[in-house]
Amino acid sequence: MNPSAGNETNIKLPFSFIFLSMLSLIASQVLLLMHGDFLIDGQFRIPGIWSAAHLFILGWALMIAMGAMYQLVPVAFLTPIWNEKFGFAQFGVTAIGTLSFAHFLYHDPQNALIPGIITLIGILMFLFQMLMTLRKQAKPNILTLFVGTALVCLFLTIGLGIFMLYSMQSGAGASYYLSIFKSHLLLGMAGWFTLLIFGFSYKMVPMFSLSHGYSMKPAQFVYPFYAGGLLVTIISFFIDSPIMLTLGLLLQLIGFSIFIYHISLILKKRVKKKLDRSFTFALIAILSGGIIHLAAFISALIGSFSKIVGPLLFMYLFLWIAFSIIGYLYKIVPFLWWTAKYSKVIGKKDVPALKDMVNDRASTPVFIGLVIGIVGVAISLFIGSKMLFIISQLLFILACVMFCFAIIKVITK
Amino acid sequence: MSLKETVLSNLKRVMDPELNINVVDLGLIYDVTFPEEGAVSVIMTLTTPGCPLHDSITSGVRYCLEELEEFSKVDVELVWEPAWTPEKMTPDGLRQIGR
Repeated sequence: MNPSAGNETNIKLPFSFIFLSMLSLIASQVLLLMHGDFLIDGQFRIPGIWSAAHLFILGWALMIAMGAMYQLVPVAFLTPIWNEKFGFAQFGVTAIGTLSFAHFLYHDPQNALIPGIITLIGILMFLFQMLMTLRKQAKPNILTLFVGTALVCLFLTIGLGIFMLYSMQSGAGASYYLSIFKSHLLLGMAGWFTLLIFGFSYKMVPMFSLSHGYSMKPAQFVYPFYAGGLLVTIISFFIDSPIMLTLGLLLQLIGFSIFIYHISLILKKRVKKKLDRSFTFALIAILSGGIIHLAAFISALIGSFSKIVGPLLFMYLFLWIAFSIIGYLYKIVPFLWWTAKYSKVIGKKDVPALKDMVNDRASTPVFIGLVIGIVGVAISLFIGSKMLFIISQLLFILACVMFCFAIIKVITK
Repeated sequence: MSLKETVLSNLKRVMDPELNINVVDLGLIYDVTFPEEGAVSVIMTLTTPGCPLHDSITSGVRYCLEELEEFSKVDVELVWEPAWTPEKMTPDGLRQIGR
């Protein structure tokens, strides 16, 4: 790579994704609040909750992951985005697809196939963009493997999702519906998000802690254990084997545990003694993910996995995936805006430091609100308390609004 | 003050925005040479390969050198080898980072 060549992405592209994702976040949580009765009764598979879940996962988490990738891929892989104009088109298609998909799931789920296909096209465009970008990488490395596999998992997740919609309409593959549904969830949450967060954590953790001189060897063990665990777990869904399921979850647990150990080794080599609170929150999310994997394995071992898989997925989605994304966003967004506003005047006049772009201290109540809110929601679902659900969900929404406000406030700096 | 000291002193205005430490105390400036009359050449690095602040910091260094009336020709070369390590920081830089 020519070290003098700039790889920066036009910030309008990642910001388009980030801003739309925040609207989806608030809308999805309000929608969940409105359907508290069904959630308390354990009725998760109803249109309003489908809509909220997809709005949260596709409209928030996926959109934000895409936006962040437009920013992080050039940083992590030292190659510019293949085609920015194509990126804006991809944003438009994905936004229309995701929002209309959530709308149809709510009002007319039988006809959600077309918006689902538009979403699929948007995601395929994104995958094509990333494929063309990663192809240009001079020296593929272990991060390429993590991120590349995550992208493959995203493709499979969406493909299986579309097949489920088709199956609902035509009855095709109905006998495999449940296995496909489980694989869809596993590939989406553990395949796409977890492998993606693993990959980018290997770039962001050393960068935000200024760690140097650490070994990347443990990552070579994280990948085969975790990816192998996903494969074995998917096979267990199709052959309905509890032993294979336990083995698959064990392999995932081992992979995740090595990842935690590796991150701790990287942090031991850090120069920056005091870590930012938001970054610490992302690190706590990693630990939470490990604990949930441990709980999943133990529950499979004692034969109660199917009873607690719902709450486990819920905790996994929020405590690991969502909190990792939120923690990292507190670092990524100020950087994006700083680059747009101050990169041309550095050295010419005094410019703010990145820590001046966002109030890191003010992030603490947001994180506390998110954690208390989500734990409260989980407990309310477990004990069936509607009052606790409403209070906890309202607290969670308030914390989400504060988070969005903190992110939007960055662009006033 | 020698010409090299003047250059380094001026480069202290370029701060790494993530760490809020200037590029000289961070040990990012590997070499400053004067190949001919009115020309300056700087070899520098960044703390992380592919650092997202890549263009910002190098253009800041370039601007600070162009501003000096002693130079009509400025060359800034960014290298990744040898890789930056914390040992390259000055005592002032280490103190600012809390070490």
